[in-house]
Amino acid sequence: MLNKTRVSVLGILLLTLAAGVPQAEARDYITVVGSSTVYPFATVVAEQFGKTTKFKTPKIEATGSGGGLKLFCSGVGVEFPDMTNASRRIKKSEVEQCDKNGVKDIIEIKIGYDGIVLANSKKVEHLHFTRKEIFLALAKEVPDPKGGTSLIPNPYRKWSEINPELPGTKIEVLGPPPTSGTRDAFMELVMETGAEGFDWIKALAKSDKQQFKEIAHTMREDGLFVEAGENDNLIVQKLAVNPDAVGIFGFSFLDQNTDKMQGAFVDGVEPTFEAIAEGQYPVSRPLYMYVKKAHAGVIPGIKEFLNEFTSEKAWGEDGYLADKGMIPMPDEERAAFREDVQKLKTLTLK
Amino acid sequence: MNNPDIKQSREAEPQYPRAIDIVNRGLAKRYGKEQRFKIYGLTAVVLSLSFLALLFFTIFSNGYSAFFQTFVKLEVFFDPAFIDTDDPANSNFPGLVKKTLRDEFPEVKTRKEKKELYSLISSGAAFQLQKMIQQQPDLAGRTVTIRVPADDDVDMLNKGNITRDVPESDRRINDRQLAWIDKWAHEGKITKRFNTAFFTSGDSREPELAGILGALVGSILTLTLTLLLSFPVGVASAVYLEEFAPRNRWVDIVEVNINNLAAVPSIVFGLLGLAVFINFFHMPRSAPLVGGLVLTLMTLPVIIIASRVSLQSVPPSIREAALGIGASKMQTVLHHVLPLALPGMLTGTIIGIARALGETAPLLMIGMVAFIVDIPSGFTDPATALPVQIFLWADSPERGFVERTSAAIIVLLALLVVINSLAVILRNRFERRW
Amino acid sequence: MLTHKKYTREHRGTVGRIESDNPRMTCRSVDVFYGDKQAIIDVSIDIGRNEVIAMIGPSGCGKSTFLRCLNRMNDTIATCRVTGDIRLDDLDIYDKNIDVVPLRAQVGMVFQKPNPFPKSIYDNIAYGPRIHGLVSNKPEEDEIVETSLKKAGLWEEVKDRLNQPGTSLSGGQQQRLCIARTIAVSPEVILMDEPCSALDPIATATIEGLIDELREHYTIAIVTHSMQQAARVSQRTAYFHLGDLIEVGETKKIFTNPQHELTEDYITGRFG
Repeated sequence: MLNKTRVSVLGILLLTLAAGVPQAEARDYITVVGSSTVYPFATVVAEQFGKTTKFKTPKIEATGSGGGLKLFCSGVGVEFPDMTNASRRIKKSEVEQCDKNGVKDIIEIKIGYDGIVLANSKKVEHLHFTRKEIFLALAKEVPDPKGGTSLIPNPYRKWSEINPELPGTKIEVLGPPPTSGTRDAFMELVMETGAEGFDWIKALAKSDKQQFKEIAHTMREDGLFVEAGENDNLIVQKLAVNPDAVGIFGFSFLDQNTDKMQGAFVDGVEPTFEAIAEGQYPVSRPLYMYVKKAHAGVIPGIKEFLNEFTSEKAWGEDGYLADKGMIPMPDEERAAFREDVQKLKTLTLK
Repeated sequence: MNNPDIKQSREAEPQYPRAIDIVNRGLAKRYGKEQRFKIYGLTAVVLSLSFLALLFFTIFSNGYSAFFQTFVKLEVFFDPAFIDTDDPANSNFPGLVKKTLRDEFPEVKTRKEKKELYSLISSGAAFQLQKMIQQQPDLAGRTVTIRVPADDDVDMLNKGNITRDVPESDRRINDRQLAWIDKWAHEGKITKRFNTAFFTSGDSREPELAGILGALVGSILTLTLTLLLSFPVGVASAVYLEEFAPRNRWVDIVEVNINNLAAVPSIVFGLLGLAVFINFFHMPRSAPLVGGLVLTLMTLPVIIIASRVSLQSVPPSIREAALGIGASKMQTVLHHVLPLALPGMLTGTIIGIARALGETAPLLMIGMVAFIVDIPSGFTDPATALPVQIFLWADSPERGFVERTSAAIIVLLALLVVINSLAVILRNRFERRW
Repeated sequence: MLTHKKYTREHRGTVGRIESDNPRMTCRSVDVFYGDKQAIIDVSIDIGRNEVIAMIGPSGCGKSTFLRCLNRMNDTIATCRVTGDIRLDDLDIYDKNIDVVPLRAQVGMVFQKPNPFPKSIYDNIAYGPRIHGLVSNKPEEDEIVETSLKKAGLWEEVKDRLNQPGTSLSGGQQQRLCIARTIAVSPEVILMDEPCSALDPIATATIEGLIDELREHYTIAIVTHSMQQAARVSQRTAYFHLGDLIEVGETKKIFTNPQHELTEDYITGRFG
């Protein structure tokens, strides 16, 4: 009796395997990989697209910008993703990798901007930082306050030690881990600029790039800067119970929690939707989407999906992506990219 | 005892302590030790139970509200102007919803106000109307009162998760919107009803439309495959290793490696699955097929080890009995040893499957951590799994996903309870098989 | 005739007549090793047709090991190696081409501890005939169950509860069930390895009576640590000591007039 069960189970197995493998040859849905920053926006478009058209809902994976581009550039064919999202521009090396694997024609679409905010609880006063102050608060080694071009281990324990106008509370910052695109952008837009606030470090940026990066990119490890994981919601919850702490996360999370959180002014600009859209708020980065031209027309719905993504109701100033916290591009930029998409214009690296 | 010498010596030295006195003296200390140990044990049990209770309490108190959803009663006039007569399903339903809302509040004029008004109702309302027309094409020109889901912000307000007493600029719902909502509430149009959508739909970026069904089906498909593969393979390997394999160095090496595999972090199995099943065999990404195979690899060592232990615990007398009347080795194992070992094997399998049910890391590598709206209908359709859905929702910015995350955890826990009870039922059945 | 031959390691010859007039099994120069350790040293003995032969000796003398050689139960022990010649009606049971499955159907075994299958009484008996294909339908099966249980003297006690688990019976009943299970496959030889050691005196007496009855149809080799039992049930007795077969002979003679010093010491209770 047991024998029969065994045989039938094996039979089912073989059948499932046999049924499974050939199906990999056809795909009737779009697959998208890439940045977890773009994920909340791309998914909204995908859902809208899936519910309002006859096409299936695209599948979207959050693999991170680098991981997404690696998958994207692995080759052309149904088993490879059709599009990838990135919270930074594609690198030359990645284009070469794509080219080597036969991914020759890539359509680049800039979809909007994302702001990175430093926020704290609404229960305490609104913070005003300069990027230099943020650098001094978070770097592992900072220039000696007595002057000169020597570095000392970060001596600052309270905000007021950096600038007497800042509150006299302990420095406590929750931020993203190094695997996160938000961290990359924060390093580039805040820490590097902050470090350049010192003339001799700024000079280093030209003469010794290596050493400059080491100074600007090494975060303090004495417990005042806490890597809080990829989960931005967790940071928001921690900030709510700890009014002295400051969190670093994407603007969309601030946008959803305006009753609890307030974004710190950076270099005198408050992170509001308008300020980021107009390019006044300094800590913002463009978001991109890359599409394989060879897949358009093979996988059903790619052109229609891009059409939905670049429509005014999606990425426009009053579009649903803006509702979700993405910062739209200015009108002219949107128009230009939409035209590129309509023509399926491919990327050429300068 | 009858020896008179001993008797005499006892009487001669009455001060010599008797053994029983020493025993009695030590008794209090011994019982005290026992008592203390009992208290330690009880404290440990109470402590772990209260942690568990705390966990359940937080999850349930956070999550139960997600089983209810705020609905708004709307009188929809299926205006023929909006209905496409040739293809009713392709009509401008969002426009119809907006018009209905404008009719509710005729005083709303400016573009900004209109936008605020529209945002009170979920975008799911349009899909709902679409479905109604598809089912009853003759609705055009008629007026129907329907309940549509409110937007997640309204839902959060209704559930008390958004407070009214903060300044207007800090709220996601402004004073004007509050007034409209209060008017609806006053007219009895806002109701809180059981959230069936949570159990009948797939993932969504709108909390009020997001459901667990897609992830649940994905988990069931994945685990079904895992069970179908890992149980027979695991049991067969255990039986071979325990009953048939010769005792030599190779078998020892295999054994050590199986034990090592059981301790390998699950992410490694994900990487293996990516390299072997997806990159080499070109199986589809994000499919329960690959998920099931990867989780099988992860579960196998657990099942093999548990099965071997339960085979070892079958008394040798049963094997001798069967062999003694001329049963072949295979018959001995299949007819006598296996049925007796099966309860233990099932327990091991359930432990393995339960672990697989809660696994996210290996699925990350094979693309099952993804936004998938459509309910998977087969082993090769893209799918996620329950713990992945929890992970994805926990990381979503919208406030409404906080309670849905907890609700998904409740579903996951319920599923675990079901699986475990199933194991107990199965075990009892097999144990009673005389 | 020699009297009270001294036991030495150098001189291992067995005292008494090892041959049987009508042998069912013949064993010649049997050695058994567990790894490097030799458990049986050069044992030769015949087991006669329709006789009960008792194997006695102190603990660890190898009597059970030897018994288990007779239906190759020792095959299940990986380190065990058997050399020599054991024949069942001229069939060399240690021949390479011999299949142990039919051999064990021919030479059945009852173990020290009653070990019924955790199945119903009925299935315990019917299992052997089923796997050997001795029955082809339910009535035949019923018949074989009934006759086996009757032969084992258990029928009257269990005929109304054949569907109850075998393990629910008392120890003595369980052992009779095991005997019934063994005879259900119609063996020619039954090996019993201390079948009464786990039973009370009353159950033991029942089993001993049963052995006496079974002698009519079967050849029985019984290992026992009880000399009284050997005296009561057997016709011939073999005395083992440290892996050597010391003395074989008619039971009466062994117990009244042992030839070897060791045998005498054992049966008079000087050691053992």
